[in-house]
Amino acid sequence: MTAYLVSMLTFTGFFMILALALNLQWGMTGMVNFGIAGFYALGAYTSGLLTAKLGWPVGLAMPTAVAAGFVAGGLIALLSLRLREDFFAIVTLGFGEIMRLIALNEDEITEGPRGLKIDARPFAGMFDRELYPIVYLILVASVVALAFIVVECIRRAPLGRTLRAIREDDVVAEVLGKNVLLHRVTVFAIGGAFMGAAGALYAHYVQNISPEVFMPMVAIFIWMSVIVGGAGNNWGLLIGAGIVMTILEGTRFIGDFVDILDAEKLSALRIILIGTLLIIILRVKQGGLLPEQRFTYKGSQESGRTETQTSNA
Amino acid sequence: MSWQILVNGLVNAALIAPPAIALSLIFGVMRFPNFAIGGYITVGAFFAYAVNVDLGAPIWLAAIAAMIGTAVVVWLSDALVFRPMQGRGPVTLLVLSIALTLILEHIVRLFYGADVRGFDLPLQRPYRFGDIRITQEQIEIIVLAIAIAAITHLILQYTRTGKAVRATADNPMLAQVRGIDTGWIILLTWLYCGMLFGLTGVLAGLDLVIEPLVGWYLTIPIFAAAILGGIGSPYGAMLGALLVGLAEELTVLILPSTYKIGVGFVIIAILLLVRPQGLLGRPEIKK
Repeated sequence: MTAYLVSMLTFTGFFMILALALNLQWGMTGMVNFGIAGFYALGAYTSGLLTAKLGWPVGLAMPTAVAAGFVAGGLIALLSLRLREDFFAIVTLGFGEIMRLIALNEDEITEGPRGLKIDARPFAGMFDRELYPIVYLILVASVVALAFIVVECIRRAPLGRTLRAIREDDVVAEVLGKNVLLHRVTVFAIGGAFMGAAGALYAHYVQNISPEVFMPMVAIFIWMSVIVGGAGNNWGLLIGAGIVMTILEGTRFIGDFVDILDAEKLSALRIILIGTLLIIILRVKQGGLLPEQRFTYKGSQESGRTETQTSNA
Repeated sequence: MSWQILVNGLVNAALIAPPAIALSLIFGVMRFPNFAIGGYITVGAFFAYAVNVDLGAPIWLAAIAAMIGTAVVVWLSDALVFRPMQGRGPVTLLVLSIALTLILEHIVRLFYGADVRGFDLPLQRPYRFGDIRITQEQIEIIVLAIAIAAITHLILQYTRTGKAVRATADNPMLAQVRGIDTGWIILLTWLYCGMLFGLTGVLAGLDLVIEPLVGWYLTIPIFAAAILGGIGSPYGAMLGALLVGLAEELTVLILPSTYKIGVGFVIIAILLLVRPQGLLGRPEIKK
């Protein structure tokens, strides 16, 4: 049971990293990313292939996966120059599908649907078998913490205000002299880097990756996490990721009580449930469980008058 | 060999033209890219499968049932999901439509599993014209696509309702001022498009296979066609379908056919960068 709990927490950690990255891109900057599965796959396959096929050490392969996510994110964000947000969303979805198709079809390199076996693990041999899952959980948790700190710092910094301005109205931000494209590229690259990191951590954890894991469905789980928690709020999405994972895992146990549902039907029911919940939450609780905090500006006390202004952000 | 590719491309184009027209019409009146079309097409294919195989009815009856059934599903999805959340911005509606397509696909999977199926039809030899082979179903698909394009053209151009649809797409406020009941027009558009999606499901089942993902595989080429032609422009969608259909078949010469779905995306990405309004679309002033 402990082993199960530890592995669930580890998987929740992957979701949290992805959700934090999406919150930076969409929640804070307003850039829609439906290609999350693509970045996740890119990170997983980069690190997996480098260690399994080229014999790179994990300590070098994982950072390369992060760099790959960073570069891919930056390049895709360049497309936002000319695209309306909903069309940019279609392009990111395309990126995700193309990544999956490459993993599926270039099977001489990626092993395709047979799955790529990865033996290398970080800190291999330094801990005994019993302890290792917990060590890995701590590793994942520290990456979650790192991602959280980075994203939260950006949110509080002047940079965060600029990003919110871009989200609310990019033309106004541009008029105010902000370099909108540069900000978008930076944000998407950082988000991509974290998604790549999540992918690499996932690859070395399960040690066998195959393309069907990286279906566009992953994006919906992560979107669900961010929307349930409250877009723009980093604390909320941690809860959101936990809720989504609980639904995904908790529904497995329904099969123990209801005989007519086989694994196939259960997995279908799970997706139906997640999708329906997403629609209901968007309808009844637009801001999510923990809505984004609104920044208030208090005028200086010395001038004798106190102004309280609620920004639109 | 090369003529065969042209024929395959035409069949491909005929398959994606009706839903691309429908997607364009919906985008025109609703103003968001509706990814639920994949779910609608899958639902259509399985409605027809249920009537044709489970009930043993002939295929033309199954097709009619699928069109009506899908139109009802599409109308329900509008009433339950999209209409209450109109005005939330295109991205929220886009997220909703992706969630909806997953729900529809998995409801089908709940009842039919993920197996690949086919209609209960006698196997027929394909017709041969010299080196070119074409099945009777493929000829039917091409004829139906041309008929639908013509019917849509006649409705949009010459009927009061069609003119009202165009007016609503152009400027809903102005249309309302002129006494057009835009809610009614949007409902009619949904129903008409629902029938087209249902029919596409049947045709896809005839030409390809019936499985829960059949709609998803078609979603990307349909979007590519609609965007290529200038989304919101039904005539552009017809042209776009022709180009995407041919482009997909031509890439088979260079790339493995499994990359077909990627071709659609590449077309979308390049086109959006070079000419965001599409081939026949009018430039939209970005806010």
